[in-house]
Amino acid sequence: MKKGFRFYMALWGAKTGTVLLKLLRRNATFFPGKFALKICPDFIGKIDKPKTIIAVTGTNGKTTVCNMLEDILKDNDYVFIDNKYGSNIDAGVATTLISGVTFMGKSKNDLAVLEVDERSAPKIYPYLTPTYLVCTNLFRDSLMRNAHTEFISGILTKYIPKATTLILNGDDLITSNIAPENKRIYFGIDRLDTDLDKCENIARDIIVCPKCNSKLEYEYVRYNHIGKAHCPKCDFRSPDIDYLATNLDLKNMKLTLKNGNLEEEYDLISDNIINIYNIVTVITVLKQIGLTQKQINASMKKLKIVDTRYSEEVVDGIKIITHLSKGMNPIACSRVFDYVRKYEGDKAVILLLDDLHEAANGSENIAWQYDTDYEFLKDESIKQIIVAGARYLDDYVRLQIAGIDKKIMVCKRDELSAVDGLKLEGIKTVFILHDLYSMELKEAVKKKVEVMIKNRATEQEEKVENE
Amino acid sequence: MNNIKVEILFPEFCNLFGDMYNMKYLKMCLPNAEFIETALDEIPAFVNEDVNLIYLGPMTEKTQEKVIARLFPYKHRIEELINKNVVFLFTGNALEVLGKYIENEDGSKIEGLGIFEVYSQRDMMHRHNSYLIGKYEDIEVLGFKSQFTMMYGDNSASYFLEVEKGIGINKESKLEGIKKNNFIGTYLIGPILILNPLFTKKVLEMIGVEPNIALEEDTMAAYEARLKELRKL
Repeated sequence: MKKGFRFYMALWGAKTGTVLLKLLRRNATFFPGKFALKICPDFIGKIDKPKTIIAVTGTNGKTTVCNMLEDILKDNDYVFIDNKYGSNIDAGVATTLISGVTFMGKSKNDLAVLEVDERSAPKIYPYLTPTYLVCTNLFRDSLMRNAHTEFISGILTKYIPKATTLILNGDDLITSNIAPENKRIYFGIDRLDTDLDKCENIARDIIVCPKCNSKLEYEYVRYNHIGKAHCPKCDFRSPDIDYLATNLDLKNMKLTLKNGNLEEEYDLISDNIINIYNIVTVITVLKQIGLTQKQINASMKKLKIVDTRYSEEVVDGIKIITHLSKGMNPIACSRVFDYVRKYEGDKAVILLLDDLHEAANGSENIAWQYDTDYEFLKDESIKQIIVAGARYLDDYVRLQIAGIDKKIMVCKRDELSAVDGLKLEGIKTVFILHDLYSMELKEAVKKKVEVMIKNRATEQEEKVENE
Repeated sequence: MNNIKVEILFPEFCNLFGDMYNMKYLKMCLPNAEFIETALDEIPAFVNEDVNLIYLGPMTEKTQEKVIARLFPYKHRIEELINKNVVFLFTGNALEVLGKYIENEDGSKIEGLGIFEVYSQRDMMHRHNSYLIGKYEDIEVLGFKSQFTMMYGDNSASYFLEVEKGIGINKESKLEGIKKNNFIGTYLIGPILILNPLFTKKVLEMIGVEPNIALEEDTMAAYEARLKELRKL
């Protein structure tokens, strides 16, 4: 695409703006790109880009996958640009590309790793052709923005450039069918002991064959529409997997990745199926761009899922686990609820799932709660559930509709006073499930739980001494 | 009344936005009722037998075409049942299948059943989101809209809600949905029966049973809190 006066005005303005924002100690991760796009709407098309672009999209896991890719690449001395600290829409992508060119618009890097919001496909892909486009999965997400999976998979199919090689989750029948004419590589995880014959989730977005409308037969279901299925009446079926994770050994935290005749062993850094998918995705991408098992695994072992998403700490014998549970995202919450119920030992669960922005400025559309498997929290090992925040009354109703006894619930508007109701007797783990934008609140609640555990331990010691 | 029958149409497709919980909640309110789930490749129960309530939830745009094709042969039966005061509850874009047509951005049209003199227009790159408070008889109904379409046509003699806050069938309208006899079609999405215990009581009365709802105290507390909250906005 030919550059012109508008392009250079946009580039120089954005570059100058970046410098000014940095001088003012402000984040220059969005506005330079926004400015450039305002001046030159096809700026992303005109700017020089790295030779290899890895774009990562999908409903869940794209940030984690990008973070892991970036950390491993950095650990192996790759130089690249990324939008780790920026937004994943067109302005964020433009900002990242601006950071990767000289003042005269020449690309300084050979590689880019870009997280791309799937809804932004119409604004990005007409101007940028990823070498590889990774799609982690496609699920129901924020209904207000993303509507439904048919809409999102439709816009991806419409806008993904034909020259892009897709790296797709082959266990996801929606993802695996986007942009059918593109070259594709599938990753997946082989059948697990925990897989089911029938789906136990509320949200199932591909029950019938998209070709002939016959009911699909699932050989196994992992969760929601993840699994392996085929149509009994036509040729529609789950694809053959190119990079297949087998021998998942959670005891020793290992997996084997099969690619053709090659079998390689990798270390796992998480036992959560969502993160195992993220790990398999990352290995597939890195193998594809030429890293060896040795390089990947050595760097992978150094990684840790970021604290803002998951943390665990033991205080006087009780574990406190904080887990990101993105509100308004039914599948992400359902996966976390499933993880909680299957976690060993008796536990208490504190739910902080409100969208704090909506709580402050509006009234959250709670339809997503009824696509979310709150029913998973009805488990013998869950001894107490504390619900708090602006939507506490809605949560209270939802949990009762899920069949959870009122007696095990504490339900209050104020989050910190709700935590006063926490009963630690017999509890091995306290889960704090929180939204993406409630980090401060999560920390305050966590501190309070820590204090409660310590006070209880002190009281118990004093009691023993007195006796 | 005994032997209450509720027919849920095409739940394998028309299940977006948590709307299926309207039926789960109704089951809690009507523990002895029979709930029939009719798949898209089956003949609907209402064709050959009497049912007390017919429910259709929101669906994708492609599914709308499948549903129209499935229901088209039963257009006169649906009209007959509406005239016989059978209760219908169509939520989200389900209502559009009974209109004259659905128009795409390129001007192409998908013919609907034509039971109601309304039509809808899609704008797939602009999703409308809003909340709503509206008057239905002597109660307030509240809820949320999230849609790609707007509906046009005259619903002044057959609307569901008189809008106090929010929009009606389109941005210029203050009359939401369609109500004809006991047919109720609304663009509201999500668990509207759970969010609106007073309206759920009305639905039960329309079916002809005592208006005893499940979790009344707690659903009322949530309803009243939300009503206050929405009024402040």
